Amino acid sequence: MKIPELWYSVVVKDRHGKVIFRERRRAHSFLKQWNQFIWFFHFGGTISPKITTGAPTRLDSHDNNFRMNAGEGDASLGIVIGTDNTPVAIDDYAMGAQIAEGFGTGQMHHLVNTFGAPVISPPSCGYSISRIIVNNSGGLITVRESGIYHQHSYRYGPVAYNFYFYFSCGVRDVFTTPQDVPDGGSITVNYTLQVTE
Amino acid sequence: MTEKMKLKERLFYEVVVRDRHGKILERITTLSRSYVSAWNQCLYVLNRHTSCPIVDTGGVSRSVLYSSSVLRANAGVGEIDHGIRVGKGTTPITINDYALEAPCGEGMGIDQFLHQAMAASSPAVVAPDCSFWIRRVLVNNSGSTISGIREIGCYVMTKYSPRYCALGYRDVLPGSVSVPDGGSITVTYTLKVTA
Repeated sequence: MKIPELWYSVVVKDRHGKVIFRERRRAHSFLKQWNQFIWFFHFGGTISPKITTGAPTRLDSHDNNFRMNAGEGDASLGIVIGTDNTPVAIDDYAMGAQIAEGFGTGQMHHLVNTFGAPVISPPSCGYSISRIIVNNSGGLITVRESGIYHQHSYRYGPVAYNFYFYFSCGVRDVFTTPQDVPDGGSITVNYTLQVTE
Repeated sequence: MTEKMKLKERLFYEVVVRDRHGKILERITTLSRSYVSAWNQCLYVLNRHTSCPIVDTGGVSRSVLYSSSVLRANAGVGEIDHGIRVGKGTTPITINDYALEAPCGEGMGIDQFLHQAMAASSPAVVAPDCSFWIRRVLVNNSGSTISGIREIGCYVMTKYSPRYCALGYRDVLPGSVSVPDGGSITVTYTLKVTA
């Protein structure tokens, strides 16, 4: 049976690279915005998904829509993490309490978002999205949620190519077990989207 | 640690056959088993903002670059390179399927349908679900019954110009469906995510 499945894995390492926790499970997590974007690409029309501030914002046709390939230090896009453990709801539009980019208290450094190309291995076809996020804050940080933010384009004014770029949350998961990331350590979050017979 | 949970993104289809007076002759509703590799490859292209070789509906591998045309299925009247299609193929689905096995063409000749414009609902939330449907009516004005309809699916655009399209999903029906002359077949797919 071929149905899209989203899986995530979490690996926590200490400052020496030793794995101190690993979890892999089927994600719980497609949100309303995910289906709104699929609808927009699939059929088109007027729709205003919420951006990560919670504001409904018109989605306009642009090649950047659904982009997740965040660069280093960019916590506005791609895989993100947070400290909140409120159960996932279909109307969620952001992390409950996102961990900001940086090196201060409660902050972590987001490395570049990486992708594994689609692999067709009958009966499955899947691709992966991964990110390493490093804790150089000076203290322990407990991570309880992860998700994916993707680009959301809004055209303003009468000029055809004037766009504001926002971000929407398509995926959110709350970990089974809160993950303590020690100072100097890291957390690696990997999402795999696959269809399987 | 591994914990399995119920699936969270699902695709359903409904097939309704009507006679020339609009009377429903047959209705099939079930969970689809049908996403194929090109669907995931299109998402990859959009998510990574990159290009990827994707086999088109002619069986030719095309380099597909991210664009606002990827995954488009809103075909107009008579357009059959994208949008919902029906056919007579019976071969079970595989992950590498790139087209319907024996799609019915556009027109009023033997085994041809008049493909109406695609229609869709807006995404609606009924917690914990968010879903929308896409639909197409295909009218049989061929002059005779078209029998042996066994497969349905949806072609999606991968490039606007030159036009390339790929198979997004395909299903084999549990039994043959016959559409009388003057009648129609309506195929509805519902795409749903559940929190």
